[in-house]
Amino acid sequence: MAKLLDVQSFTKKFGGLFAVYDLSFHVDEGESLGLIGPNGSGKTTTFNMIMRELKQDEGEIFFEGKEISKYSTHERVKMGISRTYQIPRPFREMSVTKNIRIGIMPDEIMRIIAMNSQSDTERKIGKSVGFKEHALAMYPRELSMGDLRRLELARALATNPKLLLLDEVFAGLTVGEISELSELLKEKRKEGLTFIIVSHDLKTLAPLVDRVVVVNFGQMIADGSFEDVIANKKVKEAYLGK
Amino acid sequence: MGGIIIQGFLLSGLYALIAVGFTMIFSVGRVLNLAYGVYIMIGGYAYYVLAQVLALPKIPSFLGAVLAGVAFGILTYLVLVRRLEDNPIAVEISTLILAVVMQAVIILIFSPAPRSMWPLIPGVIHLFGVTISKNIFLAMIVSWIVLGALLVFVHKTQLGRAIRAVSMDTKGSLISGIDPSKINIVTWALSGALGAIAGVFFATYTQLDPHMWVFPLITAVAVVIVGGIGSIMGSLVAAHIVGFLETITTGVIAPELRGVFTLLLIIVILIIVPKGLLGKEEI
Amino acid sequence: MKKTLLLWAIFAGLMCLLPLFTSTGTLRIFIFANFLAIFAMSWDILSGYTGYISFGHPFLIGIAGYTTAMLTHHMETPLFLSIPLAVIVTMIAGSLFFFPALRTRGTYFALVTLAFMEVTYGLMQVVKPSLTGGTRGLSGLPLLVTGAIPNYYLSFFAMLLIAIGLWALTRSGLGTALSAIRMDEDAVKSAGLSTSKLKLFAFMISALVAGIGGALYTHYLGSISPRNMFDINFLFTILIAALIGGEQSIVGPILGAYFLTFLLEYLRPYIPGAWRYLLYGVIALIVYYYAPKGLYNIFQAGANRFGEKIRRNGQYGQTT
Repeated sequence: MAKLLDVQSFTKKFGGLFAVYDLSFHVDEGESLGLIGPNGSGKTTTFNMIMRELKQDEGEIFFEGKEISKYSTHERVKMGISRTYQIPRPFREMSVTKNIRIGIMPDEIMRIIAMNSQSDTERKIGKSVGFKEHALAMYPRELSMGDLRRLELARALATNPKLLLLDEVFAGLTVGEISELSELLKEKRKEGLTFIIVSHDLKTLAPLVDRVVVVNFGQMIADGSFEDVIANKKVKEAYLGK
Repeated sequence: MGGIIIQGFLLSGLYALIAVGFTMIFSVGRVLNLAYGVYIMIGGYAYYVLAQVLALPKIPSFLGAVLAGVAFGILTYLVLVRRLEDNPIAVEISTLILAVVMQAVIILIFSPAPRSMWPLIPGVIHLFGVTISKNIFLAMIVSWIVLGALLVFVHKTQLGRAIRAVSMDTKGSLISGIDPSKINIVTWALSGALGAIAGVFFATYTQLDPHMWVFPLITAVAVVIVGGIGSIMGSLVAAHIVGFLETITTGVIAPELRGVFTLLLIIVILIIVPKGLLGKEEI
Repeated sequence: MKKTLLLWAIFAGLMCLLPLFTSTGTLRIFIFANFLAIFAMSWDILSGYTGYISFGHPFLIGIAGYTTAMLTHHMETPLFLSIPLAVIVTMIAGSLFFFPALRTRGTYFALVTLAFMEVTYGLMQVVKPSLTGGTRGLSGLPLLVTGAIPNYYLSFFAMLLIAIGLWALTRSGLGTALSAIRMDEDAVKSAGLSTSKLKLFAFMISALVAGIGGALYTHYLGSISPRNMFDINFLFTILIAALIGGEQSIVGPILGAYFLTFLLEYLRPYIPGAWRYLLYGVIALIVYYYAPKGLYNIFQAGANRFGEKIRRNGQYGQTT
């Protein structure tokens, strides 16, 4: 299996504090990796660095074998990495379909202008994440948290990613919404999409991942299958204290 | 030439004051207050009215000017900004409209012609073999005192620390129980006060003019861009750079070209070092 | 789509017939309104859509005006050359100076553009008065067409063509992308779009329109001066026209320009000069405070609600 994403020795300091220190891990093509750890352990910071929303102080990042440190956020998205946010960031004054349209848009002015309404592609993507027909015209302020997360997912999927980073995508959802989203992710997994999933909800995460990386205080403390990692003494200490 | 260098140094204190008053609002409230230049203008005109027209003694006039600035600062917040807080673009635009309205008001009350103000302290002193007006020397001293006091306030007092907390992390400070409304009022009042103080000296150094609110804004943005956001040292250094540039331009080249080289400096910095000389984040 | 084209056609038709019903004086007011509409649309395509509030549009307009003025005045360049040249110069000068400004976030962009306008105002008064005409400016410039009626048609069709062009542009994906920048620029980047490219494009279009407007305006007035072009009141008028009319809609700025121009004309005899800007400002503040979306969007919202009512009545009519 080829390494799709390979992060090596990521380090990020804020003021006097290391948010992430010498963190290395990789994800293989088609794999689903869980990234877990207590609050503040550096998971979102890691995502931010992978997406170049933050620049790593040290370390390298390889995507499909190529070192991509010099590429900006939108360039990395074009390469095939996409993410959702812990707190959803929909475009507030646009309907669901328009939100998805932004994800579909190619990064060329002339093609953006020439774009037809694209309703079909947008609708298809919207429905594929579970939006009903009538919901497609709704605005973010009218949507439930579950729907907002769906929208984030739809917009990320619209960019045709090879690797999808999901940041706390289950937080704030009802039990029903969680199970729906879970099923959706399982389907995408079957279609061959590669994931890194950050989640506090270990129970929900377990059936969705092949492997888990655990971080604490910005450093990796375990890397293995879900069962192995859960049984790991260091991991237990990290979550429950000594 | 020596006089110009010293004058540039002296002016930098004033420029630093102007810049700090301006960026306070931005770091705390995350909004851009284009009416800030108006506080400077009000400070100048208020002092003029109190000290020259009504012939009150200097210190009460000065305090009166500061009060005018404080009042206007608070008013700007309460009337305009508080309602439009979640829409920063609306704040930008409405504060600009307010500034133009105030310009019109000043024109109505005082006529559009520029006026000269008497210096706060007439006369000159001799420093390092160069002749400097006492007024500008006073401006520098007052600026540094005020900046120093501000630093102490922000680091050592409860209220000051609350302001710093809000500027660093709004949500976190809310959770800590800090009342954002109160903080905002204090910050805007401070901004008004700083602007007014700077305004009194600025007006005596240049002239009173209904259009005078524009230049301080440009200076403030230059200092912030050149120095970099999030760096007080950067602002101080940048204030000196801009101060020298301005003084040399107006003194040696031509007074009408004031602002040109500052603008060029802004462009150069934006192209080469967008974070500013000592900045910690992109603007 | 077709409905809107029809509305544009009706509007154009009515406006074409206008000179039959109005005096030259009123026509001249319309001419000014048309130019203001062009400037307001130029502002809207950049600032209304991307949210990067520009306080420097007079800079662009003025550069265009001065270029064509100096070319025709000193070098007797024919208008069909000087005007396009002026537009090109505007776009180049604008990019050289404004693009670094775009590297600041929206907030500081406004002030940097303001700085441009102010500094140019000063420069134009002082630098090379033999070329620029100094504080007085240049006059006696050749006119494109003479007389109120020809100028009316010229200004109206210029405005109409620009309006239709911009309208088509913004109804396409470009409009969506630009408004998204205003809502959340970082989210646009993480959707895979280069916001720098988009902003630059919006800016170039804005500069193009401003340049055309500035050049044509100068050859309507036959003169140009720093006070005319770079004064903050000019900026103010453009801004208010765009805002009152309604941002992010090409029709809004046109509405706003007409509304503002006629309001000013109506008030002119009653309000002495100094009070005028005070009044505009207060009106602008009030309108912006209570209706930040502008007149056009109010009309639209009203029209939508009206349409809904009719639909609903129709439905109820059917069930009973």
